[in-house]
Amino acid sequence: MLETSSTAAIGLHGLVKSYGETPVIPGLDAELRGGEFTVILGPSGCGKSTLLNCIAGLERLSAGRITIGGREVQEEEPKNRRLAMVFQNYALYPHMTVAENIGYALKVAGVNKTERAARVAEAARVVELGDYLDRRPGQLSGGQRQRVAIARAVVREPQVLLYDEPLSNLDAKLRHDMRRELAELHRRIGATSVFVTHDQVEAMTLADRIMVLNKGRIEQFDTPEAIYHRPASTFVAGFIGSPAMNLVDVTGEGGVLRLADGTALAAHSHRGPAILGIRPELVVPAPDGLPVQITYREELGAHAVLTLRLPDGTALRMATALGQRGGLPTDLRVALPAAELHLFDPLTGKALASATPATQTKKAQHDHVPS
Amino acid sequence: MKQEIFRSRWLPWWLSAPQLIVLFLFFYLPIALAFFWAFHLEQPFGGGSEFVGLENFRRVLGSGEFWTSAGATLLYMILASGTSITTALILALAADRALKLSPLARNVFIWPKAVASASIGVIFVFILNPFLGILAPLNEIWPGFWNPRTNVTHTYIMLFVTNVWNAIPFTFIILLAGLQAIPQELHKAGAMDGSGPWRRLWDIQLPLLTPQLFVVIVLEVADSLSGSFGLIDTMTQGGPGGSTNLLVYKIYSDGFKAYDLSGAATQTVILMVLVACITGFQYFFLERKVNYDR
Repeated sequence: MLETSSTAAIGLHGLVKSYGETPVIPGLDAELRGGEFTVILGPSGCGKSTLLNCIAGLERLSAGRITIGGREVQEEEPKNRRLAMVFQNYALYPHMTVAENIGYALKVAGVNKTERAARVAEAARVVELGDYLDRRPGQLSGGQRQRVAIARAVVREPQVLLYDEPLSNLDAKLRHDMRRELAELHRRIGATSVFVTHDQVEAMTLADRIMVLNKGRIEQFDTPEAIYHRPASTFVAGFIGSPAMNLVDVTGEGGVLRLADGTALAAHSHRGPAILGIRPELVVPAPDGLPVQITYREELGAHAVLTLRLPDGTALRMATALGQRGGLPTDLRVALPAAELHLFDPLTGKALASATPATQTKKAQHDHVPS
Repeated sequence: MKQEIFRSRWLPWWLSAPQLIVLFLFFYLPIALAFFWAFHLEQPFGGGSEFVGLENFRRVLGSGEFWTSAGATLLYMILASGTSITTALILALAADRALKLSPLARNVFIWPKAVASASIGVIFVFILNPFLGILAPLNEIWPGFWNPRTNVTHTYIMLFVTNVWNAIPFTFIILLAGLQAIPQELHKAGAMDGSGPWRRLWDIQLPLLTPQLFVVIVLEVADSLSGSFGLIDTMTQGGPGGSTNLLVYKIYSDGFKAYDLSGAATQTVILMVLVACITGFQYFFLERKVNYDR
């Protein structure tokens, strides 16, 4: 077991980063709890890597403060921030052996040879690197290189581990395995981890909390469970979930939500225009429901994803129940259960508070604030 | 290779003929002739030659002038290639950083490539002229401060400065390309590992630049042995007092001014063997330190 220093919370206060005139991060406040695994999720160009580089100290802030373990670090060199980083393309030094790669930070820090060797061996053991210590990175597979990169990060016993899309260069099978190993590693060493990705599956499976970033702003920062079940905006709703949540323009009057042509879609007390959101897997067939046409069907083995056309031409995705195969009539009728509806403000895209599904307000289980 | 691309079996030969003829006439034929002449006594204005065995070599190697020249040549080789590679490396390292004027510098440093070394020599003779050049005012204050026409050290400094200027473009381009090929992530990883810019230079940049450094060392060393002719001919003509009479210039003056064709050919052969040995040495010993992993 690696010696772990007391975990450090990361505070981001009024953080601004611009390149020339263009603000990439126009002002961001967040508290990343100590020991927590935070995933920063967003589409490319949303500023997530920039944010990570700012925390790492590889980019200078334009304004704002960063605290790590209560200490202001925005003016500090990366090496003084007590953090380590795993890069997307591993960034191993090609001319050094695996052992030299892992031990480089210790060598720079002036750790003597015997202690260095012991700590390198320990770090290699933690990531189950086996006996590759004398090889060069060029002789290793993608997964092994990734392990070396992680060992290089943990060998310094950092308070904070930063990951910059570390799995995106691996193939699907390996990515799945590494994801599991990263989760286990986090449980073992317990350092505060910040993980940047555009992959929602990685975010959902690894994170204690997910920070969804869009154009440098936080759309939502919450547990995976809350992000999935209570998206704070249409952006989050559309970004998380596969297939993505249906978003339909509706108007509420007299306890019913109607499409533009007046078709009644679902029962709800909301009044006035809104964007209705419903997960494809929660659209259910109902004998007395809305008549729809199936325009496209994707058979995924365990279930199928249908594209339906509502009477006014609006498209609606529906995921069939597990194990249900074929057999759906072409004149399908569906219902949108009132308890599963999300309503968003048509102008701001923010969730309408009154419309949160009543069934999913239980407290998130992932909250474990270390003492 | 597919044979049927060419209908006629002679067509490939026709297509490569211009290249082969040029190579033969200006490269292989002179080499062959030099070897032939080195073992024969040639008459200066043609008309028969006499086989003399190793007599030419005995004569050349027995003269003190040859050994002085050979020593100067080796010294020039080490200092000229050393100074030009070091200068180009420093410039490339600077241009590799995203400094403000580095795009402009990358452009400007290529220009000397377009100037022949003889022209560069003429220009620098003027620039460094002790009476008219940029150092002339200093000569007025301290007489004799700078005089490459009489002071051997000054002469060599003048040659090295000119050679550096001449050699920068090629070396700079190769080294800069090598530096730019080093992924930015490695710098970031180094910075995260606590390694400052200077430490990263030694631990990351230079080891990863060894393939390019090897290429420029091989080329610059070979070039300093043969390519110095244009500079010496225009700047010093071997002077002062024969101190810059490097082999390549001595061969020219022995052969075409003193009409000792056999002696010149013999020294040519010696110079060729020297270049081949040095290059071979570099490949056998230096290349082992080159790291081609990327």
